[in-house]
Amino acid sequence: MRLADLPHRCFQGVFPAVLATCAADGTPNVTYLSQVFRVDDRHVALSCQFFNKTKQNVLENPYAAIELYDPISFAAYRLELRYDHEEHSGPLFETMRVRIDAIASQTGMAGVFKLRSADVYEVVSVEERIGFVDDSELPPPDPKRLTEAQPHNEIRGITMISQRTCSARTLDELLGTVLDALDDALGFEHGMVLMPDELAAKLFVVASHGYDEAGVGAEVAIGHGLIGTVARERRMLRMSGVENELRYGRAIRAGVQRTRARRELVPEIPLAGLPDAESYMAMPLVVGDRLIGVLAVESRKRLAFDEWHEAFLEIVANQVAIAIDNVVMREREAAAAADEAPERIEPVAPSSTLAADTKVLRYFRNDECVFVGDDYLIRNVPGKILWKLVREYTQTGRTTFSNRELRVDPQIGLPQLRDNLESRLVLLRKRLEEKCPDIQLIPTGRGRFRLAVACPLVLEERDGA
Amino acid sequence: MSAVALPEELVDFLESGASMLVGTRDGALRPECLRAAGCIVDPDRSSLRVLMNAATAARTVANLEAGSPIAVTFSRPVDHRTVQVKGTCRRVRPADSNEHEAAERYLALFTEALYVVGMSRAMVRRMRVAPTVVAEIQVLELFHQTPGPGAGRRLEERDAAR
Repeated sequence: MRLADLPHRCFQGVFPAVLATCAADGTPNVTYLSQVFRVDDRHVALSCQFFNKTKQNVLENPYAAIELYDPISFAAYRLELRYDHEEHSGPLFETMRVRIDAIASQTGMAGVFKLRSADVYEVVSVEERIGFVDDSELPPPDPKRLTEAQPHNEIRGITMISQRTCSARTLDELLGTVLDALDDALGFEHGMVLMPDELAAKLFVVASHGYDEAGVGAEVAIGHGLIGTVARERRMLRMSGVENELRYGRAIRAGVQRTRARRELVPEIPLAGLPDAESYMAMPLVVGDRLIGVLAVESRKRLAFDEWHEAFLEIVANQVAIAIDNVVMREREAAAAADEAPERIEPVAPSSTLAADTKVLRYFRNDECVFVGDDYLIRNVPGKILWKLVREYTQTGRTTFSNRELRVDPQIGLPQLRDNLESRLVLLRKRLEEKCPDIQLIPTGRGRFRLAVACPLVLEERDGA
Repeated sequence: MSAVALPEELVDFLESGASMLVGTRDGALRPECLRAAGCIVDPDRSSLRVLMNAATAARTVANLEAGSPIAVTFSRPVDHRTVQVKGTCRRVRPADSNEHEAAERYLALFTEALYVVGMSRAMVRRMRVAPTVVAEIQVLELFHQTPGPGAGRRLEERDAAR
């Protein structure tokens, strides 16, 4: 048997593997491994996070044996290994490091739990453990599993996504289209796109698909958690059995809390999206050297995503990143052209005939956030944008606004270079849809939009809540 | 090295259906690993019986019969609490009917322990535990092995009793 004959899923870290080593004095040691990385057909890599007995042993005596499990059939495979070398940089190390950093960050262990080295072993032999499992019926395949790897699906899916992304005219349309297409073409049922805020310190969810609570506007600090790590490192991350990985991180955390590293611990960041996600994949959206955002998909099933999905999503992520960049550029060009030949704006008096209950909007200056009644609506830049719009509307009856005036308004504080106004407006629009549908921002083309208000508004402004 | 008595609290843990891994080595110090099929702690608490599936244990049995020391790691899937026992093997023999029953009981407990962390029962139940062989172990050392910086530390009495 060769390494390549083993199913891919044996290497996804769903079911822990077993590793035995032996000290020079002949004392064996046995432990489990959260993941075995397949490097090529002759080598595997194991992560070294702490200088432990295993590492000490293989430096003295390079032989090792591991047992790997197929997480669907529970078939077991025995590999004889010989320790070769350790790596502290390079693609293998980086791939393993990002994964470990993400788990560490998600469990509040950033900097404490980290990859020391990627330990590369030569594979001497591979065999199936005959008689480990009986021949009882296998669990039936999950009918809701994602589309299996098939060249036709792959090409069809990419074509479909490509067509839809190219035809989108606005960022809003593009984001919705991409997430729908990922579900339609490939069965990624739960997905979201996050984009950076003005200071590139956080990402916010700008579009989501397949969640009961859309979660648009949820924030993730760059460098924190799974998504934040993908953004900082600009490297994709795929995890199967997310719960298992996180439990492993928590076990280490519980140990660390009893030692001196305690002060470095920070509160755990909850996973955005599905509370019980088992499989997870996140891709950075990058154009040139710029981080455009992160595309994340997840599933309640273990092993929902495999290497094929990873390769596929990487292509999609590249397309989406470029498409986002293009659509934003087109929106801006249109807005700039419109500025040269401005339309005449006729202020429209607020209509009180579209009666509904009066809405009270509250703005808290210190927190820069807006509430509708007692419900939190939005904060920071999109909050300030909304406040500017409704204030002008209630004071002057004005309903038509341009992106340009928002860009230059010092009160709003968008960065002068490469601002993210388009994604902020998408967020604001979606939050209004969800929390205050009586107020709408309707794009009218050429970088302009109309504020449509279907109820009487009362504004209140305070320092703090 | 003299025999070590297992702390009383640990007995339940070792017999609780935790994941059990066995390490041995041959005369050229090439290691072998094996997933075991249960454990019975003897009343004196300084020896225990490790139950193994005979079909997969051939190398392990040969190593033990040639005098290899043995390492047995017990790990609870839900919180990764892990303990490693090291010792020597007095003998290896086929299981008696009580021990066969203990192996079947172990499989049931192990299946539930993994079910709690999301593994399918149908999958785990495929693991074979019979025919069972028994390795009689004299315990010489005990190590704390829960992942983290403390892993590998000798298990002191007060830790074990916690």
